[in-house]
Amino acid sequence: MEFLKSGIKTVLGSSEPGQQPSAAETVEKLVDRVFSSTLLEDRRDACRALKALSRKYRIEVGAQGMPPLVQVLQNDGQDAEIISYALDTLCNIVTSEEFDEEADNPAVSVNVGEQFTEMFIKSPEHVTLVMGYLDEYDFRVRRAAIQLITSLIANKTRELQELVLVSPMGVSKLMDLLTDSREVIRNDVLLLLIELTKGNSNIQKIVAFENAFDRLFDIVREEGCSDGGIVVEDCLILLLNLLKNNSSNQQFFKEGSYIQRLAPMFVLNNNNGSASNDLDGDGVWTPQKVSNFHCLLQVVRALVTPSNQQQVVNACQRVMQKSQLLQALCDILMSSGVPADILTETINAVAEVVRGDRDNQDELSRVLAPSQPPRPAIVVLLMSMINEKQLLALRCAVLYCFECYLYRNSDGQRAVVQTLLPSSASDVSSLSTGQLLCTGLFSTDTLANWFSAVAIMHTLVENVAQKEELLRVLLATPGGVRPITLLEQCTDLMQQERYRLQSKVGLLMLLSVWLAHCPGAVKALLETQGTMAYLTAQLCANEHDEREYLVQGMCAFLMGLCIQFNDNSLPNQRREDISQLIIKRIGQETFCNKLSEVSRHEAYSRACKQAQIRAKGASELLLDYEYCKLYKGLEALIAKLVSGFDVDGIELTELTLSSEASALVAQYKGIIRGMDTQIQTLQQSAKELEQQHSELKQQLEQEQTLKAQLADQNTLLKAQLTAAAAQQQQQQHHSTDSPTHNGAVGVAVVQDEELNAARYQANMYFAENIRLTKELETLRQQLAAEKQRADGAQDSLRATQKDQEDLLELLADQEAKLARYETPVEAAATAATVETANR
Amino acid sequence: MSYAYLFKYIIIGDTGVGKSCLLLQFTDKRFQPVHDLTIGVEFGARMITIDGKQIKLQIWDTAGQEAFRSITRSYYRGAAGALLVYDITRRETFNHLTTWLEDARQHSNSNMVIMLIGNKSDLDSRREVKKEEGEAFAREHGLVFMETSARTAANVEEAFINTAKEIYEKIQEGVFDINNEANGIKIGQQATPTNPALPGSGGAGGAANSGCC
Repeated sequence: MEFLKSGIKTVLGSSEPGQQPSAAETVEKLVDRVFSSTLLEDRRDACRALKALSRKYRIEVGAQGMPPLVQVLQNDGQDAEIISYALDTLCNIVTSEEFDEEADNPAVSVNVGEQFTEMFIKSPEHVTLVMGYLDEYDFRVRRAAIQLITSLIANKTRELQELVLVSPMGVSKLMDLLTDSREVIRNDVLLLLIELTKGNSNIQKIVAFENAFDRLFDIVREEGCSDGGIVVEDCLILLLNLLKNNSSNQQFFKEGSYIQRLAPMFVLNNNNGSASNDLDGDGVWTPQKVSNFHCLLQVVRALVTPSNQQQVVNACQRVMQKSQLLQALCDILMSSGVPADILTETINAVAEVVRGDRDNQDELSRVLAPSQPPRPAIVVLLMSMINEKQLLALRCAVLYCFECYLYRNSDGQRAVVQTLLPSSASDVSSLSTGQLLCTGLFSTDTLANWFSAVAIMHTLVENVAQKEELLRVLLATPGGVRPITLLEQCTDLMQQERYRLQSKVGLLMLLSVWLAHCPGAVKALLETQGTMAYLTAQLCANEHDEREYLVQGMCAFLMGLCIQFNDNSLPNQRREDISQLIIKRIGQETFCNKLSEVSRHEAYSRACKQAQIRAKGASELLLDYEYCKLYKGLEALIAKLVSGFDVDGIELTELTLSSEASALVAQYKGIIRGMDTQIQTLQQSAKELEQQHSELKQQLEQEQTLKAQLADQNTLLKAQLTAAAAQQQQQQHHSTDSPTHNGAVGVAVVQDEELNAARYQANMYFAENIRLTKELETLRQQLAAEKQRADGAQDSLRATQKDQEDLLELLADQEAKLARYETPVEAAATAATVETANR
Repeated sequence: MSYAYLFKYIIIGDTGVGKSCLLLQFTDKRFQPVHDLTIGVEFGARMITIDGKQIKLQIWDTAGQEAFRSITRSYYRGAAGALLVYDITRRETFNHLTTWLEDARQHSNSNMVIMLIGNKSDLDSRREVKKEEGEAFAREHGLVFMETSARTAANVEEAFINTAKEIYEKIQEGVFDINNEANGIKIGQQATPTNPALPGSGGAGGAANSGCC
């Protein structure tokens, strides 16, 4: 400082001694000198003095000093020293940070740096000029230029980003500085890039294109990964800037196999070292390590957050599982000594890594906590969720994780519901997810009620089968009179005064999701004692509390669901009946008004924003993301439905269907139509088959009759044969009369021979018989043929006879004619002979 | 997935010539007739094999509109290959090639391989630029030329792969400094043993290199 003061003295040497000049006058003199002095050294001294003054008299220096300083930058480029003074001075002027020296100066307002920034960048060439000095290798110049640009960007981010983009190779040049061997420069460039990449995806992409991921990972590794210092944190913040909401860079990150480089950083190394050295070894969670780790987790979440492109999320989730990043995260969940906020963020990260990906969800479900006996990690997590001593953020994270585990995971949903069903009660010793959730639902801790209700609700989201399964859940009552269903218990709790508002909100959400698209649940609810009366009372009440309004709106929604998904199977509780109740007791307009209370509540817009559960305080936990989704889809439908009933309870047509519902109906119609045609074709083919069947039957009958005939013939022939045989025997008896006298033996032999002969003869006869029948047949045929021929002959005979008769007749005619002609001829002849004779 | 080399490409050319469609056809093997205007730059990647070596292509598809020119210029320097695309059914996209080429040559490293591509070859009935003209332009400026159709996928593979081959040959010849990643080339884990070493050490490098690591 002494040196600087002496510098000022030499520069201001011409002023009158003994009189203290004001700051403005001093600055004016200095500015004059910078402008007009021909000697470089004079100008340099003046710049040095301006720099010294700029911290305490920022406004004076800034107001007058800018033009000369720019002039220096334009003309004195060959002198590194003066340039560094000029850049430093400008940096002091535009920085948003407040110097200690100016703390007591009331003229310095908060945004004075911003105003000077605006002045400076009014001419874009100023920025180009400063950017040009990045090429200067001299340490002072380069560093000052980097710091000045960083301050400018911090104050006027948008404008500077545009200017950097337009300046030729601007971003590339800045990226080159990241490889500067001087660490100070490199670290300052990191800060610059963090500012530069904020919210500008074009710059983010160029930075990534210029190998930023490689550079950053190299630096992080050199600096000791998560155990490293603040430079590691800076790198990770920049990495986060590049990835957040930038799907092109996310894809590049994934394609470039950078997730694989990220994964090892999550492996906690306190287990593989010597355990005793943990106290001051790697295992210690220093504040810096906590910050670094927090950033690392943020980087993971930036890749798989639900608002990203689904395609990118899925691809990243796959890689995170394969690269064992998920496993490392789960290990952190189950290891001891992890600070609470890191644990919370890790749970959030695990949540998003598994969300909607079956393999990852399965992997999470298989993780076991190292407890005695080992319990599933999910159970251990849920235990902390319903434990009122746990931190709110942690409990929220667990619920989010549980929701993500169940998201599009019907098997997971079923597994949770199964633990509540009586059949699975065999494993009483170990705590199940279902038991834990019920404990939470009935506990005296309001938050536990809310968390558990929402958790159970997520086992039902888009899963009608589980909605029906859950209806079967029975609970033992303390009195032991009879077990009651979970649904009954829920409606009971809802009506109890001691059950507080937040808990009721939770229950109403659970019931609403339960009832939606599930007529069975609607029926069960309508059968419970006093529920409808309670809902009606709530809607009629005139409480003037914002949170009461919310509950009323939710009651209206629940009632609307009772109409919408009512299958009219309960007499007196049909759609019309409930509508009449609304019309007569509440009024349609009041109902619709109350219904819209839900979307008017600030909790609604808060919950709709993201799937993650975020709450600064416990009282902010009211609505859930999935409930809001359901409400958004059905609110208009219910409002239309209710206002669509007229006083006489006549439902006004299908118009009450929302476009979504009618699309659904159309879809179903299409399906039905398709099935109809299918049925028709099937019927036709069935008919054809029947016809074929009857034909075959007929054929079979014919065959059978034929067979019977043949059998008959067969028996007839046999009978004939026996008859023939008997005849022969008689004949044989006849012929064998004489030999019988020769003795019994002889007789027997002879008889034998005779029998053989007879058999032979019989066979002969048989053959003869067949031959004869055949002959007979042929003869018959011949006969028939002959007969036919005879008939033909007779016919022709008859024809000839007729012809003959005709001919005879004709002949007779002719003869008669002939006779007639003969007489004149004879007369003529005689006359002629007479004439000739006369001559 | 390990690779021997990684090449960075850019695709440039007038708006509407089918740059994004070429990329989509190459990476996803599908054609999207209605495509939004590219905003700034989009990223795509695919693995190919050349000479038995796995080569990863990282491709930046740029916006053709003038408004994005200053952004897309930032991508020239770090790319090893560029596909310069025009539309054979629109003469003006061919006429602008000179400007594009000047721009590219000015901002890129001198070794960048540029492939000239006449796209939409399936629309032969509406052709305004003859194939010979494209060939002549390419010859004149020392580019590789090809006509492609992103719709039918004709020559699309070839365009990307031939560019990669050209780069690969340049590496074999030692033209590229493969250790400078600013050239758009990165060596993977697979490559090092058989890879010709730095340009200076020439053919003898192979034996020397195999000794290390």
